[in-house]
Amino acid sequence: MGFLDNSGDIILDVVLTDHGRMLLAKGDGSFQITKFALCDEEIDYSLYDKNHPSGSAYYDLEILQAPILEAFTNNGSTMKTRLQTYTNMELLFLPVLRLNERVSINKRASNGAYMIPVNAETEDNSGSSTSLTGIGRNTDGSIREGFLFGESLVGTIIKVDEGLDTTEISPKRRLDDELKETSYAVQMDNRLCKLVDSQGTLASFDYLDDDNIAYYTVDLGDTFITDITNDTVSASEVIQGPRGTRLEFRLQSSMDLNTSPYLFNQLGGEVSMPTQNAAVGPADTLFIDSNIRVVGVKTGVMMDVPVRFLRLK
Amino acid sequence: MTFKPLNENDTVNTRTLLHEAIPLTGAIVSGTYGTNNIKTYSHGMFESVYDYPYLSSSANHIFDLTAGLHPDGPIASTDTQFTKKRNIYNQMAQVLMGYDATGSIQKFDEDGDLLLGGAKMQEIIVMPFSRLLTKDEVKKETFELTLGINAGYNSAMNSLITISDVSASSEYRVNSPAGDYGILYATNSAGSTFLNAAASNTHTSSIGGVKYWNAGLIFYQAGIIVLTGSIFGTQLTAPAVDMDPTNLAHIDELMTGSTIDQISDAFRHRVYNMQFNNTTELNSTVYFCRINHNEFNYSSNPTYLSGSRIQVKNQATDEPVAYITTVGLYNDNNELLATAKLSEPLKKSASNEFTIRTRLDY
Repeated sequence: MGFLDNSGDIILDVVLTDHGRMLLAKGDGSFQITKFALCDEEIDYSLYDKNHPSGSAYYDLEILQAPILEAFTNNGSTMKTRLQTYTNMELLFLPVLRLNERVSINKRASNGAYMIPVNAETEDNSGSSTSLTGIGRNTDGSIREGFLFGESLVGTIIKVDEGLDTTEISPKRRLDDELKETSYAVQMDNRLCKLVDSQGTLASFDYLDDDNIAYYTVDLGDTFITDITNDTVSASEVIQGPRGTRLEFRLQSSMDLNTSPYLFNQLGGEVSMPTQNAAVGPADTLFIDSNIRVVGVKTGVMMDVPVRFLRLK
Repeated sequence: MTFKPLNENDTVNTRTLLHEAIPLTGAIVSGTYGTNNIKTYSHGMFESVYDYPYLSSSANHIFDLTAGLHPDGPIASTDTQFTKKRNIYNQMAQVLMGYDATGSIQKFDEDGDLLLGGAKMQEIIVMPFSRLLTKDEVKKETFELTLGINAGYNSAMNSLITISDVSASSEYRVNSPAGDYGILYATNSAGSTFLNAAASNTHTSSIGGVKYWNAGLIFYQAGIIVLTGSIFGTQLTAPAVDMDPTNLAHIDELMTGSTIDQISDAFRHRVYNMQFNNTTELNSTVYFCRINHNEFNYSSNPTYLSGSRIQVKNQATDEPVAYITTVGLYNDNNELLATAKLSEPLKKSASNEFTIRTRLDY
C-alpha cells in the first residue's frame, strides 16, 4: 500500500495591494479582511478542448500548463475575472453585458468610443449661435452621434444590458434570480470624470483608491438600473435571450479637465476634429482615452466601456 | 455570488520566530578593504563598519565601534577625548543598564548581579550591530567572537580567544531597561592557549568543565555588545597585548591616551571571526479560504463563454469547472486589500473542494 500524496496542502503567501497598504497606514479600522474571492484571469477557456480524442483527462491539458504571474500589488490590475458560485450546477448559459446601441442616442461614435467634450466651449461654444467652432454638434445643430456632453450633460446615454445573449433560449423565459444582476460596480478615473445618471444627477462614489480610481455601486431601484421588461424579439434589444437589468449612465467631466488642459498634455494626445461650421474647418483638439469598467456585483459580469475626453486646444 | 465571507473560525493569528545565521569574517573588519569600508566621522564619537567600501551603494552597514570610560576608572580629565569617552560610557550605560534607586546611572556589571556589586567594567568597547543584521534580536547562545590576543601587534592572530554567550539560552538577565542580556565569557580557542599561564587559575566561571573569564555583556534585543577592555589586559594575557602598531601601547594606555577611532581601529585589527544568529518575530494572520464542492464552479472570465454559452460544457448536465489562479482578500466595502497567487491553475469542480491557507505576515 503506497502513501497518499500529501503535496496538495496549499499555503499561499499574501501580498498587500497598494490600496491595502494605504488603508493599513490610515489606521482607521478600514483594513479589515472579511471576505475572499477567487480569480482566473490567466486562464483562456477557449483552450478547453472538450472534444479531445484522447479523453477527458486531456480536455484541460493546456489550461493546466498556463504559467501564472506573480501577484500584482495594484488593486485595480488584478481580480478582474472572478469565479462564481451558482446553486444550479446545470447551467449552460451565463449572463453577459452588452452595449445597447440600437438607438441613436446610445451609439458610440464612429471610432468606437464615447466622445466626451469636457467643457461648454468644446461642446458647442456654450450654445453660441455665432461662434461655431465647437465639435459636439452637426452643422444642423443636432448633437453628434456618440457625443456625451461632459459639462451640459446632454447627448448620448451609455446603456449596458445584461442577460443571456443567445438565440437558443427565448427572451420570454424569465432569467433566474441568481443570474439577474441587481447591482453594478462602476469604476472610473476620478481625475477625468464622475458618474451621473441619465437625468444628470451626480452619484457619490463608495471609495477612491490610491490610484485615484473611483468605485461607484448602483443598485436596482435607483435611477441607474431598471429591469428590462421587453421580452419580445425586438430590434431595440441587444440581448437575444432572457433579459435581466439595464444600466444607463452619463459621465460628467471632472473640474480638472473642464478648466485646464494640463491632464490632456500629460495623459493624452492631439487630434483634428470637425467643427459645427464646416466653413471653419477642423479644430485642433486634445484628447484622453480611458475606460469605464462596469462589473456585476452578484454575477461578476464585466465590460470595459471606451471613452474619449475632448477639449479644444 | 462572487465573495465568500470569512468568519471567526476562518482566521487565526500565529507567531513564528525565524532565525538567520550571520557569519562575519574578521578579514572584512580588519583589512580586506583597507579602511575603505570603515567610515569615520568628524565628531570622532564612533566609527562604522560596512561589508563593502561604504561609498558603494552595495555596501551594508554591519556595526559601529566605540569606546567608553567611566569617570571612576583610572583616568584623568586630561586624557585624550576624556569627555567623549565618558559621555559614551554614560550614554550606553543609561540606555542598557538604567538607573539605580537614587537615579544614578548603573555601571556595566561583569556578571549582571547589580545588587551584590561585584566587578564593574570601567573601560568598555561597544559594538552596536546594525538592525539589518540583528533584526528583532540576537538569538541567545549563538554569539561567538574570536579575537587574536597574541602580544605582538603583527602576530595578533597567533593566539586566539573565543568570546561567547555560552549557556545563555538558559541563563540570561532581565534587569536591564533594554531587554534581555547575557554574560559574555572568554575562553581559549581550539588550538590556542592563554599566554598568561596564571590566568588559568583566575577564571571566573567553569561551565561544562571549561574555564571561562567574564568578557562583557550582550544585549539581545538591543543588538549591542559591550566588551570589557580587560580582555586585552594582563588578567588574560602576559606579556600585555600590543594594541597599537606605532607606540605598542597596551590596553590601559590605549584607552586613556588614544582617540576613540584609534581604539576602534586597534580592536578591529584583532577581530578574527564573528558569528551569531538573529531572530525575526513573524506575526501572521492565516485566512482559511474554504471552498466547498458547490462553490466557485463557474467563472466570469469572458473566455468562459461563447456568446452566453459555457465553453467547458457540452450539455447542461456536464459538470461545471473553473480554474483558480488567484485569491483576493477584501473588506466589507469590497476593496481589494491583499492577493495571493497559486503556482499553477487549480481545477475546481463540483466534485472537489479545497481549503486554501493564505498567510499575511506582519
